[in-house]
Amino acid sequence: MIEVQHLTKRYGPFTAVNDVSFRVERGEILGFLGPNGAGKTTTMRVLTGYMPPTEGKAVVAGYDVLEQPLEAKRRTGYLPETPPLYPDMTVRDYLLFVARIKGVPGKERRARVDQAMQRTWVADMANRHCGKLSKGYKQRVGLAQAILHNPEVLILDEPTAGLDPRQVRETRALIKELAGDHTIILSTHILPEVSQTCQRVVIINRGQVVAVDTPENLTSRVHGSATMYLQVDAPGADAAASAAAALSGVPGVTQVGVSDTQGSVTGFEIQSEQGRDVRRELAAAVVAHGWGLLELRPLRMSLEDVFVQLTTQEVQPATTEVAHE
Amino acid sequence: MNNVLAIAHKEIKAYFASPIAYIVVGFSAILFGWFFVNLLLYFDRMALQAAAGGPDTLNVNEMLIGPLLQNVAVVLLFTLPLVTMRTYSEEKRAGTIELLLTSPLTDVDIVLGKFLGAFVLYAAMLAVTAVHVGLLFLFGQPEWRPILTGYLGVLLMGSCFLSLGLFISSLTKNQIVAGMITFAVFLMFWVINWIASFAGPTMQVVLNYLSITEHLNDFTRGVIDTKHVVYYLSFIGFSLYLTVRSVDTERWRG
Ligand SMILES: Nc1ncnc2c1ncn2[C@@H]1O[C@H](COP(=O)(O)OP(=O)(O)O)[C@@H](O)[C@H]1O
Ligand SMILES: [Mg+2]
Repeated sequence: MIEVQHLTKRYGPFTAVNDVSFRVERGEILGFLGPNGAGKTTTMRVLTGYMPPTEGKAVVAGYDVLEQPLEAKRRTGYLPETPPLYPDMTVRDYLLFVARIKGVPGKERRARVDQAMQRTWVADMANRHCGKLSKGYKQRVGLAQAILHNPEVLILDEPTAGLDPRQVRETRALIKELAGDHTIILSTHILPEVSQTCQRVVIINRGQVVAVDTPENLTSRVHGSATMYLQVDAPGADAAASAAAALSGVPGVTQVGVSDTQGSVTGFEIQSEQGRDVRRELAAAVVAHGWGLLELRPLRMSLEDVFVQLTTQEVQPATTEVAHE
Repeated sequence: MNNVLAIAHKEIKAYFASPIAYIVVGFSAILFGWFFVNLLLYFDRMALQAAAGGPDTLNVNEMLIGPLLQNVAVVLLFTLPLVTMRTYSEEKRAGTIELLLTSPLTDVDIVLGKFLGAFVLYAAMLAVTAVHVGLLFLFGQPEWRPILTGYLGVLLMGSCFLSLGLFISSLTKNQIVAGMITFAVFLMFWVINWIASFAGPTMQVVLNYLSITEHLNDFTRGVIDTKHVVYYLSFIGFSLYLTVRSVDTERWRG
């Protein structure tokens, strides 16, 4: 439904998006995740035909955005980062105007506008001027504007930014509901948003794709250097410190940190070499010192850890580059 | 065509939702009225002299309506920058340009729609000034032909200013800056005319040709000369073309 091939966008000498490729299947919700300045908005602007790519191509709903822009635009709904509202127009007039320029036939316009206003809970503000709406309502009118002409593809740039928690929940529910008959790309820098709404995630950093996968696979895949949680009962003065020293000596362990202490019970976070299971050795070491082994389990990385790891990994090889500049 | 009308409709609604339409129409009515009264008083004095044995005939068209329409350029100098300054600048500032450029519209649809919207407001503004001229028909028998051609000329001349203002507005996201540059550029076209009267013969021809206002003279005398019509239409076409190019260039630059 959406296909991005080797997309590059430069602003003068600055490369904002660098050789990005990905696909989105029909009916899928794709999360576009990355820190600020990663190139999310730029990619979306190319997909919506707002600006042409410097290199590469993008096909939306079967039409190349550069070669057949009108066909592609007719099938795309777009919520830009700032909702594109005319402050002097009422919500209804604004949506009627948008329906008209999106090519909704005159007879259907009123019904479509009413429907979109109901779906996005803005019907009570129909006669209010757009400029007088709260941030949350503006965002929802922006969403109403995007779904108005029932497009095949929805491109939403940070759709929940600036909403209160209840509105965020409602908006996510709406997006999921829309996914059935629309194909959706939504960008965000908020992690729970991705794990809650999206089936697949593209993580982008400094203009480059660093990972494409399901949220579940990402959390287990990056699990590479394993972290264990180990809780021991070691009575006696300085037992915690000596336990830490003893555990550091176990072959394969790279780092030992104290995460919590309660009386004689101490919890450690232990990192080991990539791909090496050190649970047996750890258990043996604890028993050999005569301490009580209370708990030993692998710590799963949250998507947040994955994100930080992926995006900082990407920065490390680039540091030499930065030094050159 | 429906797209052009959609944009034009939106523009006209925006003019009347803000004070701009009222300021422009009101201000031009006042300024025009002031010229009208002064020229009328002058005409009245001439008429008295004529009765006392001055020139034989006095022509309302030549002595009143012609100069009046020529003075309209001054009214346009002040009012039309207000009409065009926000057209593109405000869309860029508010980010609504992103809606227009990602909708199934061509750049030409958008430019023509905006031009048409500005043109309708301008036509409304001229219609209000026509009330003064209408008064003359109550009290005298002016020829209607030079009045009609004169208004056609003024409409074309104003459209040149509008298309130029549209282009300037497409260059910046600050509408005040757009308005000031537009005023300065209009002033330049106005001054060219004035410089021409001091220039040498060759230079005078060139400057007069460039001067937007100079092309109006024949219209106010009741003559529609293709030369002038072509000048105005090419001026408008070229400015609108530049506007389309400017929007497109910005899109590539990002
Ligand atoms: N119009 C522009 N001109 C120059 N640089 C830009 C422009 N728009 C964005 N950038 C730069 O491109 C990079 C990516 O921006 P953007 O796509 O907005 O990122 P995101 O949406 O992920 O925060 C940023 O470093 C930003 O400063
Ligand atoms: Mg962004």
